[in-house]
Amino acid sequence: MNHRYVVIASRLIVVVAVLCATTSLAVAQTRAYRAPRTPDGQPDLQGFWTNTTYTPLQRPKEVTKELYTREEALEILKTAAALESEQTEPGTIPDVHYDFTQFGLDRNQGGLALNLRTSLIFDPANGQLPPMTEEGQKRNAARAEARKRMGGPTDAAQNQSLSVRCILMDRAGPPMLPGAYNNNYQIIQGPGYVMILVEMIHEPRIVPLDGRPHLPPHVRSLTGNSIGRWEGETLVVETTNFTDKTAFQGSSENMRLTERFTRVAEDRIDYKFTIDDPATWTRPWSAELPMQKTIGPIFEHACHEGNRGLSNTLAGARLEDKKRAEAAAGKSSQ
Amino acid sequence: MSTKRAVVVAVVGLVLAAAPLRAHHAFSAEFDVNKPMKLQGTLVKWEMINPHSWFHIDVKGPDGQVVRWLVEGGSPNQLIRLGVTKNTLSAGMELLIEGYLARDGTNKGVGRNFTLADGKRLFLGGSAPGGDSGPVVK
Repeated sequence: MNHRYVVIASRLIVVVAVLCATTSLAVAQTRAYRAPRTPDGQPDLQGFWTNTTYTPLQRPKEVTKELYTREEALEILKTAAALESEQTEPGTIPDVHYDFTQFGLDRNQGGLALNLRTSLIFDPANGQLPPMTEEGQKRNAARAEARKRMGGPTDAAQNQSLSVRCILMDRAGPPMLPGAYNNNYQIIQGPGYVMILVEMIHEPRIVPLDGRPHLPPHVRSLTGNSIGRWEGETLVVETTNFTDKTAFQGSSENMRLTERFTRVAEDRIDYKFTIDDPATWTRPWSAELPMQKTIGPIFEHACHEGNRGLSNTLAGARLEDKKRAEAAAGKSSQ
Repeated sequence: MSTKRAVVVAVVGLVLAAAPLRAHHAFSAEFDVNKPMKLQGTLVKWEMINPHSWFHIDVKGPDGQVVRWLVEGGSPNQLIRLGVTKNTLSAGMELLIEGYLARDGTNKGVGRNFTLADGKRLFLGGSAPGGDSGPVVK
């Protein structure tokens, strides 16, 4: 292997990360930035973006303010990056894993924007999800009960989550929230349409801008049905027609999602979203995080094709079942 | 609250919040924490597949027999961005891999650490094992 090349490449990434961290602020500074225009006159959001963050969705209980100072945010970023890069303790469950740092999968290795927010949720002002309605609590209790009835996660492939089965990952949403790594998106605009490609696991969301109505209520999909429009500089995308399978933060299938994309600088899109689901929460709630310009292209993430982990896990569980059954039979015949 | 304490509290909070996102699947269900492994062998093939890459290693046993092992590693996408490709990682390299054996009893394992014969990390060239954990923002 050409070591030097790898070292240079990884340093380049670090430089990009530092640039991202030093030039971005969480709160949209609505300076007089005006996005360039596409040939058909839309504000241009096209390119490659990442929304990697260390900022939690909900504010940690002990933190009482909405924004950190720049110094505090940098300190948190540094501490979190160092913590993430630490090697796990041998012989412990978290150690049964490949090392993220070696594979360039630590959040700080892919470049991320400094965020002054103490939580992604900014409404309610306390940074917490609003209280769940009685209906929402009942539905989620019933879901947990149904999962329990299905048995353990290794009892059947269907018992594993959508992401383990390579069906849908949290990066896709919508709303699009980052996971640990590969939090990359590509936006392409054509006349009357915006396409948002999610790297994991390769979901292209094609959003029409012609004001058509949503699909009828009986037509539903995991990522819902998205319809967009421009409000000045902001792309507004409304998504409905979800299923019960994704249940974002415990939502119902009737959740209504409104996303707002505003290009606030050459290298940044401010991404805001509002969840309106009166069957689950006592009031709508909103969150915000920056999408930082990153390096393309998006590499194909053909997850299902390479997902040997699922069959290995089930094969391992069946072998252990067999050993247990043999041990039990051996005992009973003595 | 002092700044330092606020930082510590916030970091603990965010790490807890981020914990479930760490792994694509429960690796402890695929591999056995009670069966650590240490393999030394020759890289035959690197499968750059998602969600996790697989390294094919030929390992010579004490009896001289060469046995093929498959070792699971991370998603290749970010490595490609970092400049590691099939052209920079060549077959025939000598590797030392520490990790854990698969529960299904076949010649498979998860590679916690991939190091070269000289002790350097496979992908983060120039860093001694454990020495590359420095934060990005200076």
